Amino acid sequence: MSLVELGLYFALLSLVSVGGLPSVMPEMQRFVVDVKGWLTPADFIQAFAVGQAAPGPNVLIASLIGWKVGGLPGAFVALGSICFPAAVIAWWVAELWDRFKDSPWRKAIQRAIAPIVVGMILSGGVVLATPGSPDWRLWLIAGLAAAGMLATKLNPLWLLGAGAALGALLL
Amino acid sequence: MSATLVPVAPPKTLRELFMGFFWIGARSFGGVMPWAYRTMVEERRWLTHADFTETIGLCQFLPGPNIGNASIVLGKRWFGLAGSVVAFLGLMALPFIWVLALFIVYSDLSSNATLKAVVTGVGAAGAGLFIGTAVKLGRPLAKKPAALALIAACFLLVAVARVSLLMVVPIGLGVAVFAARRGWL
Repeated sequence: MSLVELGLYFALLSLVSVGGLPSVMPEMQRFVVDVKGWLTPADFIQAFAVGQAAPGPNVLIASLIGWKVGGLPGAFVALGSICFPAAVIAWWVAELWDRFKDSPWRKAIQRAIAPIVVGMILSGGVVLATPGSPDWRLWLIAGLAAAGMLATKLNPLWLLGAGAALGALLL
Repeated sequence: MSATLVPVAPPKTLRELFMGFFWIGARSFGGVMPWAYRTMVEERRWLTHADFTETIGLCQFLPGPNIGNASIVLGKRWFGLAGSVVAFLGLMALPFIWVLALFIVYSDLSSNATLKAVVTGVGAAGAGLFIGTAVKLGRPLAKKPAALALIAACFLLVAVARVSLLMVVPIGLGVAVFAARRGWL
């Protein structure tokens, strides 16, 4: 039963996932941890960490959440349902978008989406760095990684590696 | 452009399309986009730089994973529905196995306190990368008060009040489109 619920909810999230997976991370956490209790807050940040460290699109984090909820079928259901509705939209919209190249509505939509995406990705970062009660050590690591990303052109893997080292030292 | 470069041409067969996206997924440590660029623009020369940038620009604000959308859009352009399916599966196949394998290994060892601390540290750093991304994307908006107000409202509703995105996104987009039509964004 929970797989059906997970699939339907992720399919809905897929439709609002403007900006990609980072945007919907706070909502995934809210649903599977706070509302359903399928994962603990610690489970969630660890699934997220493994998903970030592994190669591949970060949407694969959804499959890890599915795995925790219902094993291999859960992984397929979660990944399929977070991708499929959005894929259908992409399939239909791509040509339409070219056709309306000069429409003022297209330009308005493009400008409108940017601040929403920024607000959601920012929320995603803060929610993920605050898995249970606020912990200054996690915020410190997150702050340093953000600063490192903005100040340098390092491959993000180095920043994740620094996070691993700091985690071993502080946590 | 040097004359020795192969001219830009789309993949000729579904197999070639699959292998291209498979190769992107296989190498994408630390982020997929740079590898997608290297594979499709520099190595296989399926797309020009401008074409790549425009396609990714579109995919970035469609819902769904950016690179996943790119596989759908490009696959459709070159081979129709079969192309979309093949490109998407090629992209996801290996990383899907990778991530599950890594997670299974980790789950077996996760009673180890040090390992748990290390992985939690990686998670916090990953969260920091999101914050960095938000700052990067937000910089061009910093001079527009309406954009800053929308960002702040989204943040308060989603991160602080924990309101569902299923409410915040449709309403937020409605308000934002209104603001954009008025010339505030």
